[in-house]
Amino acid sequence: MTTTEPDDEVPTRTIRLRVNGRQRRVTIEDRQLLVDVLRHELHLTGTHAGCYNGDCAACTVRVDGRIAKSCLLLAASVDGCELRTIEGISPEGELGDIQQAFWDSDAFQCGFCIAGHLFAIEDLLESNPEPSDSDVRQALTGNLCRCTGYTNIVKAAQLAAQRRRDAVEHT
Amino acid sequence: MDVLQSSNSVTRVDGTAESGRHEDQPRRQHGDRILTGREQYLDDISVPGMLHAALARSPHPHARIVSIDATAAEAIPGVEVVLTGERAAGMAKPVPHFMDPGLAGGLNTADFGVLAVGKVRWVGEPVAAVVADSLATAEAAVTAIAVEYEILPAVFEAEDAMRAEAPRLFEHWPDNVIGHLPNTEGDADAKIRDAEYRASARITSGRHQPVPMETRGYVGSWVTPDRIELWAATQNPHVLRTRLADMLGLSEERIRVIAPRMGGSFGYKFVGFPEEVLVCLLSRLTGAPVKWIETRADELLAGGREFTHDVEFGFNADGVLEGFKVRSVGNVGCLASWSGWGMAAQGCFTYPGVYKCADYAVEVIPVVTNKAPWSGFRAYGKEQANLVLDRIMDLISTKLGIDPATVRFRNFQSSEGMPGWVHNKHIDSANYAGALTKLLQFADYDGLRRRQAEARKQGRLLGVGLGYELTPEGGEMFDSLTRGHDSATVRVHPSGTVTVATGITSPGTGNDTTIAFVVAREFGIDLDRIDTIQGDTDRAPYGFGIMGGRAAMAGTAAAADAAREIRRHMITFTAAEWGCAPEQIVFGGGSVRATHDESKSMSFEELASSIYRRGSNGSSQSGITHADLEATKVAGPDNFHHEPDEQGRINFYASYPYCAAVVVVEVDGETGVVTVQECSAVDDCGAVLNSNFVDSQLYGALAQGIGGTLWEDLPYDETGISQAQSLKEYLLPRASDLPAFRVAHQETPSPFTRFGTKGAGDSGIGSGMAAVLNAVNDAIAPLGAQIHHLPLSPPRILNAIKAAGEMTHP
Repeated sequence: MTTTEPDDEVPTRTIRLRVNGRQRRVTIEDRQLLVDVLRHELHLTGTHAGCYNGDCAACTVRVDGRIAKSCLLLAASVDGCELRTIEGISPEGELGDIQQAFWDSDAFQCGFCIAGHLFAIEDLLESNPEPSDSDVRQALTGNLCRCTGYTNIVKAAQLAAQRRRDAVEHT
Repeated sequence: MDVLQSSNSVTRVDGTAESGRHEDQPRRQHGDRILTGREQYLDDISVPGMLHAALARSPHPHARIVSIDATAAEAIPGVEVVLTGERAAGMAKPVPHFMDPGLAGGLNTADFGVLAVGKVRWVGEPVAAVVADSLATAEAAVTAIAVEYEILPAVFEAEDAMRAEAPRLFEHWPDNVIGHLPNTEGDADAKIRDAEYRASARITSGRHQPVPMETRGYVGSWVTPDRIELWAATQNPHVLRTRLADMLGLSEERIRVIAPRMGGSFGYKFVGFPEEVLVCLLSRLTGAPVKWIETRADELLAGGREFTHDVEFGFNADGVLEGFKVRSVGNVGCLASWSGWGMAAQGCFTYPGVYKCADYAVEVIPVVTNKAPWSGFRAYGKEQANLVLDRIMDLISTKLGIDPATVRFRNFQSSEGMPGWVHNKHIDSANYAGALTKLLQFADYDGLRRRQAEARKQGRLLGVGLGYELTPEGGEMFDSLTRGHDSATVRVHPSGTVTVATGITSPGTGNDTTIAFVVAREFGIDLDRIDTIQGDTDRAPYGFGIMGGRAAMAGTAAAADAAREIRRHMITFTAAEWGCAPEQIVFGGGSVRATHDESKSMSFEELASSIYRRGSNGSSQSGITHADLEATKVAGPDNFHHEPDEQGRINFYASYPYCAAVVVVEVDGETGVVTVQECSAVDDCGAVLNSNFVDSQLYGALAQGIGGTLWEDLPYDETGISQAQSLKEYLLPRASDLPAFRVAHQETPSPFTRFGTKGAGDSGIGSGMAAVLNAVNDAIAPLGAQIHHLPLSPPRILNAIKAAGEMTHP
């Protein structure tokens, strides 16, 4: 931050978002990053800030269907968009199949980076229902995890993929 | 030692983990909270009226602070206060060291204020703090603080800092050396001199960083004079409370430290950072809660593991190590109150590792320079000794043409005399050869060697490397708040649900689940009936937090003891109610029943409720009341020898786990790029309480070991500025950089811990590092090349290959 511009003169605007299916209206400073608006204005703190530099993907959200690192987006740039955060992956009280596979595979430890992995795997399985381990690892190149060494994250992705294929076979 | 037995027994013989999670063992409790983004971490704490702090940091590596003018900063609307080191010094005593070198006898030390006073000694050292109504305003105000510096000569390399004419960081020290730490036995010089073969090497390690995905942060609220609440990203909340009480002259009762779930830690979040007390002072000055969150660039200032090891050793024609000398110089950056420099001491103690060599002389020299200080980092220096020792094994192997596994088998310490003194340590139990044997089978070592032979025929640089490590765990420093044991309070509620509150904290390792599991089994009830409280000094009994793999040794034992006491009381009550003998009463399946009479049975809930409703009166003559449904116990391992024995030995580690790893790499001779193809490990952390959690920790440690050997480094430029200020420069391993780890366990239970556990936190770092170093050297050996300079970056590997070429074709 190099500006010495006092806070009360910072330009602001009101943006409209649809977040996890709910219409939200929020007044933001033009300079605010999406990750900060989600966390501090909308109190959706499951989106984490690990680097503010696009390196770790702990801040991943879905913007109009595409996954994005919310520390690299100005909130003003997503006015009118449809957002999904980790809190909205599954209905309250339920787990989505990828979340369940992560739990069943012990695929997280501290859990700080989890949103990025969940969204990246969701995208992968959408386009590739039968990924190789190498495909999974490639899908995670934009993500960082310091606890797991990724071994169980890859297993979780494969478990989720297998369960989806099994479910298709049984229908 | 208790063996855990139940329908869902958690002890197992063979822990191979290729099929994912072990279904017979509990998953992480409350994993759904994490997976849905509903778990609370430090930066999620928001308190009404909260203000935000930012730090003004020194741009110079070494300078006198002539003046600080905060007028312009204070004039910015929204700025509440600017605090300088001078003013902070009037509000709090110096920040106590995590581990004060001055207490170690004859070592140099210094006091550190909350902010720099008089002088700065590293780029990034905080000189002033600003509090404002938004972080942006606070950061803007930081740039408006005018600090006048008188620049002093600085020194960045340890060898330079050791020269007599070097700039002195601390004027009251005779030099820049914290001290000379010895670990010596026998006569190394004579043994090396008389040995059939002699060799030497210089091995250097890069400057590493724990990099938890969550940085540090604190929210301090000291709004009324007699009550502080501090939310802290810390491993040791009770110890932090004691430190605050000391620094601020308050009773502990008036301070509450709350450590929310940590987003990783790896030793980084030990107590000792000035910002812990700083946010409290800033809150006092502003009359409002104050939050400070470390930026990633700030976090990347901290260092660790920057060592130069000069190694000399002698061995015989069978590959038996006869004597070795190591002189290790650690560039610990500037000394600080932080938790880092002690890694030099623990690395020193770890020799001679798993090997039997009665003639060695190790000297570790922590040297201060004008780089940023070290923080604690997982494996806490032990990985350095293991890296050196296991490189020695491979150098012997290469020289003699004996397989490196064979060389290790010929040098392992036998299990004879265990438990007991082995060299400088009181070892609990071990079977070093057993773990390596298991690894060689598990990883198909012979097959790997065959694959290597094929690859070499094709001219490919394929390398296979072994690494072996000893990881002393559960350390207890005499007369300090680094203790081996810990506490637990168990409370049975009228509803039959149970709370276990413990002084152990969890950085994500799963110990909260394991502690709850131990309690659930004592009562024969489901795990989901138990809630675990950690990290809150108002709710949990005094404890020492997490470090050195102590959770499974101390936390589980205390929780089991407390639960057992309550169960005894419940049995007494039930026996009186039913008119039977206490030994006829059993717990299981969520109920309590009498073995002699099938009609006598009630649910655990009914029993709990009965004691609340009828205890000490009514039909019960047992004298049991609901006060008996709460118990606090302290328990832990029993292997400390703080009084020196006749040879002057003390033992301050509870247990000695170990781990063997094998890594397969391929080096691209054109680019110098290393690809890690395989990594397998067999560890022995004693009895395994939950192999999912042990496996998972080991995967992570191996990744960190590989990362440190191949990619991670914090280089400085010649002006003392770190060149890795983001995760684009400090290269953490990504999924595509690593192989699928395969791990298995050997279980030699510790006789000194309740469940035979030894601690699983550190294993994988040292063995992973050594295995990669050995594998890369094995890969480039056909070219006559050798490399001992970590990280093994492509330019360094190409240089090593080029140097070898010049030697053979000058």
